[in-house]
Amino acid sequence: MEWSVHIRSAQDLDGDLTAERFATLESSARLGPVVTALARRIARLTPSARFTRCAFGTEFCENLLPPPAALAAVRAAARNRTLAFTFLTPYAGTAGIGKLRELFPLLHEGDEVVFSDWGVLNVLRREFPRLRPVQGRLLNKSLRDPRVMGLYASAPDPGGALAGNTLAALQRSNLDNESYTRLLARLGVAAVEMDNLPQGMDLSFADRGLAVTVYLPFGFISTSRSCMAAGLHYRKPDKFGPGAPCRHECQTHLLEYTYTNSPFPNRDQKFYLKGNTYFYAHSEPMLDALFEHAAGGRVSRLVFQPRLPMVES
Amino acid sequence: MKILAPIRAYDELEMLAASGAEELYCGVVPQEWISRYGGAAWLNRRSPKGGSLETYSELRQLVDAAHARTLPVFITLNAPYYSAEQMPLVVDLAHRLSDEIGVDALIVTDLNLLVRLNEEKLAAALHVSSVAATLNSEAVRFLLNFGPRRIVLPRSLTLAEIESIVNDVRGQVEIEVFLLNDGCAFEEGFCATTHHHSVGAFCTSLSEMRAEFEWNGPVFRSRRENWLRRNLADYREWVWYLNGNGCSSTPKGLPYGPCGLCAIPDFQRIGIDSLKIVGREAPALKKLASVKMARDIVDRARAGVPKLHVIERAIALRETPEHCRSGYMCYYKVDGAR
Repeated sequence: MEWSVHIRSAQDLDGDLTAERFATLESSARLGPVVTALARRIARLTPSARFTRCAFGTEFCENLLPPPAALAAVRAAARNRTLAFTFLTPYAGTAGIGKLRELFPLLHEGDEVVFSDWGVLNVLRREFPRLRPVQGRLLNKSLRDPRVMGLYASAPDPGGALAGNTLAALQRSNLDNESYTRLLARLGVAAVEMDNLPQGMDLSFADRGLAVTVYLPFGFISTSRSCMAAGLHYRKPDKFGPGAPCRHECQTHLLEYTYTNSPFPNRDQKFYLKGNTYFYAHSEPMLDALFEHAAGGRVSRLVFQPRLPMVES
Repeated sequence: MKILAPIRAYDELEMLAASGAEELYCGVVPQEWISRYGGAAWLNRRSPKGGSLETYSELRQLVDAAHARTLPVFITLNAPYYSAEQMPLVVDLAHRLSDEIGVDALIVTDLNLLVRLNEEKLAAALHVSSVAATLNSEAVRFLLNFGPRRIVLPRSLTLAEIESIVNDVRGQVEIEVFLLNDGCAFEEGFCATTHHHSVGAFCTSLSEMRAEFEWNGPVFRSRRENWLRRNLADYREWVWYLNGNGCSSTPKGLPYGPCGLCAIPDFQRIGIDSLKIVGREAPALKKLASVKMARDIVDRARAGVPKLHVIERAIALRETPEHCRSGYMCYYKVDGAR
């Protein structure tokens, strides 16, 4: 199994390539303990693990696409550290597609590009066949609502009966269909990325040869083209409109929610908003399940994210 | 440019047709699905208990009567995905809807289902749901490989983005946009939450949670925190508007909720094919009022009434100019001078 690390800049690759060192990159008092605990766990469970790849970019916001110089610098740093390279790309409007067309030429032959938008895949296949497209986790449509999905695993179907069928459906996605994995193969997509699901994951589709990457310790809940943080610099009537200019206001703060209105026993659960996207942190049982999947061979790569994946380059 | 109205029961047909609906869409959840799946495994993004017709016989009655009025009927099969176990049931349902009942189109989200149904060569056309998050013309071109007649664009696109997409793919596919009613704080196709009744919508649920800011810099002054808190309060107000002004209505019973009436002259100029009114599960009165408002404005745009006059009429129809002025009830930012 391969280990990858999600980085913000070339400077992140200065120093030891260890989870414990990467964990120090997160300065948030709220997120830091989550990241540090995971780093210790990685060091304890897989002491021989080596980071052989880095991921750069974001799947969640086209306004955080890096400037060409930043991408070139990170790509050069990865080469210097002999790390394989994955470029993460977001869902995108017309403007975002245009920016990506300027960035893709900076990538090297065989680099991976994670796509979160069918339009990006279309551009990659037609104009940049030397790059390797990977289906991103946003295109994996499994529900992962942390308010309730974790309860399905322990007390399936809180609404009533029908437990088994519903839980099985929720642990899967369209990747469950051989017709879909065949389609991905025809499209030149040999790998998919996923989040670790609160309700558990059925990864049996991986037995058909599709490589599976999973991110930890954060999963995405929901994302939007209407950004709360971007509203900070607008008159009230102009706030939260899609397409509004962005000053990367999201980089200045984090918003932590506590599920105080839960009808279930998970009232202390935390959700995190960074910019336009909400995230959950993996629980200990979720990490246990993920490492079991990895040990069983159905996860071929884990990506350690020392920060929420909403970073300005 | 047609007005596409939601419908949940045969009994709603006559009033919607008489009020100006030109296309209809609905859901149907067969008993086989209900007896197999509960909880959050929804067939068509609505709870089986709320937003869909309940029997094939009622659907056939609806389709026959709609066709007699030359109104096409589209059916939602727009779950974000179907598992391998679910897929045969869904494909069989598609055949039945298309070949036996004669619906005119199936609205799908899942790329796997789109490809499968395209291979099945159904009589019904295929529409790609807004939940597929088709945000750019390259995505439209990609989807065109799999045979859709229509793409429904997400409500998060700006008028300029919509125009750019239409110009890029004009004549290759029909384009549908949102016109009235429900909003979504998130990009619908990239929201991995459930609206299950046990927890409600995530966006509105957040407004009731404790929220604490963490500042990245060294000093988090109270003035700065107040600035963030004010913005959070504005955001929660925006979500309230998206949620149909807290699911309320005017004293005359007209529905609140996100609105694109002022954009209709632009949609006509751009060449949009269909204007979608949201709310399969809504009360009949809300559907009726929505169709009437849409028809009023569409008729004026078709008659060539100047744009500013159309906008004034739209604001008057909503009856609450203060809500229009808030800026939070609009799907689209309209430039009245253009």
